[in-house]
Amino acid sequence: MKHLLLLALAALLAVAPASAAELTVEAPPDNDGLNLDLSWEEANDPAGWGVLRTETGSDDWTLLKVLTGDARSLSDKVTTDVWEHPPAESYDYQLVALRTVPDLADVEDEAAAVLAAGSVAATATGKPKAAKLRTGMKSKNYGPLLMLLIIIAVGVMMQKFAADVRSGKEVFIRRIPGIDAIEEGIGRATEMGKPILYVPGIDELQDIQTIASMLILGQVSQKVAEYQSDIIVSCCIPIVREVSDEVVRAGYYQAGYPDAYNPRNTRFISSEQFAFCAGTNGIIYREQPATNIYLGRFFAESLILAETGFVNKSIQIAGTAEATQLPFFIAACDYTLIGEELFAVSAYLSRDPRLVSSLKASDWVKLFVVICLLVGTLLTTFGFPIINTLFSISGG
Amino acid sequence: MRSTVPLVLTFLVGLFMVGEYFIPHWGYHVITQLLLEWGLILAAAAFLLGLFNLIQVNLPKVLNREEDWGYKLVMLISLAGTLVVGFWGNTGRLNPGEAYKWLFDFVFVPLNATMFALLAFYIASAAFRAFRARNLEATVLLVAAIIVMIARVPLGESLPLVGEKLPQFMNWIMDVPNIAARRAIFIGAALGAVSTGLRVILGIERSHLGAD
Amino acid sequence: MKLDTLVKFQHMDRRWIFLGMGLAILLPMLFPVNLPFKVDERVQSLYDAVEEIPAGSTVFISADFDPASRPELEPFFRANLHHLLRKDVKFVSATLWPSAPPLVLPIFEELTAEYGKEYGKDWAFLGFKDGKELAIKAIGENIPETFPQDIKGNKVEDLEVMRGFKQAKDFAMIINVSAGFPGTREYVLQIQGQYDLSIASATTAVSGPDYIPFYKAGQLNGLSAGMPGSAQYEKLVFPDGPPDGVRLLATQSVNVLNVGHLFIIVLIVLGNVAFLVTRQAEEQA
Repeated sequence: MKHLLLLALAALLAVAPASAAELTVEAPPDNDGLNLDLSWEEANDPAGWGVLRTETGSDDWTLLKVLTGDARSLSDKVTTDVWEHPPAESYDYQLVALRTVPDLADVEDEAAAVLAAGSVAATATGKPKAAKLRTGMKSKNYGPLLMLLIIIAVGVMMQKFAADVRSGKEVFIRRIPGIDAIEEGIGRATEMGKPILYVPGIDELQDIQTIASMLILGQVSQKVAEYQSDIIVSCCIPIVREVSDEVVRAGYYQAGYPDAYNPRNTRFISSEQFAFCAGTNGIIYREQPATNIYLGRFFAESLILAETGFVNKSIQIAGTAEATQLPFFIAACDYTLIGEELFAVSAYLSRDPRLVSSLKASDWVKLFVVICLLVGTLLTTFGFPIINTLFSISGG
Repeated sequence: MRSTVPLVLTFLVGLFMVGEYFIPHWGYHVITQLLLEWGLILAAAAFLLGLFNLIQVNLPKVLNREEDWGYKLVMLISLAGTLVVGFWGNTGRLNPGEAYKWLFDFVFVPLNATMFALLAFYIASAAFRAFRARNLEATVLLVAAIIVMIARVPLGESLPLVGEKLPQFMNWIMDVPNIAARRAIFIGAALGAVSTGLRVILGIERSHLGAD
Repeated sequence: MKLDTLVKFQHMDRRWIFLGMGLAILLPMLFPVNLPFKVDERVQSLYDAVEEIPAGSTVFISADFDPASRPELEPFFRANLHHLLRKDVKFVSATLWPSAPPLVLPIFEELTAEYGKEYGKDWAFLGFKDGKELAIKAIGENIPETFPQDIKGNKVEDLEVMRGFKQAKDFAMIINVSAGFPGTREYVLQIQGQYDLSIASATTAVSGPDYIPFYKAGQLNGLSAGMPGSAQYEKLVFPDGPPDGVRLLATQSVNVLNVGHLFIIVLIVLGNVAFLVTRQAEEQA
């Protein structure tokens, strides 16, 4: 009998749930106030862990997750719908060490099923807390702070250089042949009595390349109006068409020829990529523009547009920051603006001191980044990844 | 007033959206998400304007029998036909046997694929024209392009003597100089984007706002 | 060879080039050579990652391609489905491209029927969601809220295959078949780091080089680029050849790639020879 009792005790101990684990619940650094990180210590692995949660003061437990026996942490997002279920002030958690992993298919009360299949190893309370400012200081990822400093630095430098330019200081901008060619192209089109085709890319208005293209379109349309030529703008996105219409109208107005603007020259073709491409090709074949300007974000249609323009013997100037399309533009166009040159066009064309100063400010930041790259590479090679830490960004 | 209000709005909203990255609080994100969704709704509403613009530009050319009016008529009939068929089919329009599905499978898909297929021919003619060893840089580009092209396909791996090494060299070209150049373009473009964004937010660039 | 012939050759009518390219595409389709090819490390890594998924798990497939990119991506898409279905891995799919649903739904229905899988229990297709990066963020946060109904009008919350799967991180893996924007880059930038997701990507050849840094940084656990990538994946999934009724589209198409690339290379080399000879003659004259 004694042996049987001992055997039973041994069997119970073998499958007995773990002794009380230590559960900690903390808000992760730089979080949005909707996350809590759970972690616990336990020497033995049970069959599994069940994690239950309820708002403090409530008995309505819900099962968060059933984890494997070797798990020791869980990230909990307390709510995914802040409108319907805004986060509570604090949450209670129960960590259940499972004797067996329950089958929860077709179970209504999953929390009760988990409790029945194990015993509570630990409880804790956690308060979601949003960080006031994401600087990365707590998690030692200083990237966000550095980014904030860079943005402020660019803004301050822009003001400083603009003041310098206004006071008469000369600012050197290196010659960019592609941008010079825009004015030459407009002149060529005027001489030939043919229009200029402007394609602002195929991406949405909120894309920064489309915004840059709209800014350039303003300058280009003003020059076109001064030369008393025509500009056709071919748009893939309807809202881009509406903004282009306003921009070109403003350009004509600034040049002093408001009545010369023909709204039918700013066209929405199609929001479908290749239908847009076919439509724009049709414009090139029928209206035979002397100059084609492709500035913005392009995808697979870039080469088709550029080749059609080549057959039409147009001068072609392209500019995009989309690295995958640059080779096609370089192969098929007369001039290509690569990456940041696209963002420099409006400043280059207008020579407005405030715009030119922004070019200079971003160049200084670029220099800073290059120095960090070189120094960081050297330091990391010798085992000191300090610069890496400075630029690293947490998951957030 | 006409240009001041948009400038002030641009500044405030721009600053608010930039702040989203630095202020993690969920309440802040609720508002930025709402603004982004409003932007999507506006863009969707603009589709109607796009439709009107298509008709506005092309219908007069058909009515006045201007040059190539026939193509414009085909375009307008296709536009109207697809709209009608799409609305008629309702939620079941993608079911087999439906007219809209037929249009998709036998008109849209082949046309879309055909336009993309043109790239194969245009790449050949553009490459023939552009890849000339005019100077040292052009020669390096030419040689790298040939190595990558031949190594990407089984033909390159099957070449005697060099077949083993060619894919490794191609991978090195793609992994080292190619990535280095792309990263340089990304960094430059990102800084240019920051500069452009700041110019728009601070009201230094105004040409997107239209005429005074 | 006469100098003016070489000059004419350099400026020949591009329609001759188109004709040559057309033959370079047509002939290998009619007379395939089937040269052997090796599997790239990134494709092998993708295959291994899928192979490690335990039976009974569920993956999320984001099928983001259109008719234009179908030749490059559909072979991978089909091979990947075969890979998942024969391992008894369940899947939930959605798309961010409006022209994708009519392309992918028939493929899902065809292959799941072949493996005897039941809709709602073993697989589900949630349809298209507009919003690009916003839609991806929403998939990261709450899938039933982002897709209240599936493509057949069922409530997503009620689908058996969606039980316990609320967010992207709940799935064993995200498989993104991506033709461009929005696609792999947006998944990596918007939600991969935030939720520490396991993402595998199949993409077009032109976008492949852009995603290599993501693979090297460990943000993608595998990458298949273009038709060669799809052919290599087919080779791994069907090492002994395809079963009856299954066509290895990418493997067959690689014959065309061989001859097509060779044609372009020969053209470029001949063009340069003509260019250098004429330049030398002009310098001597």
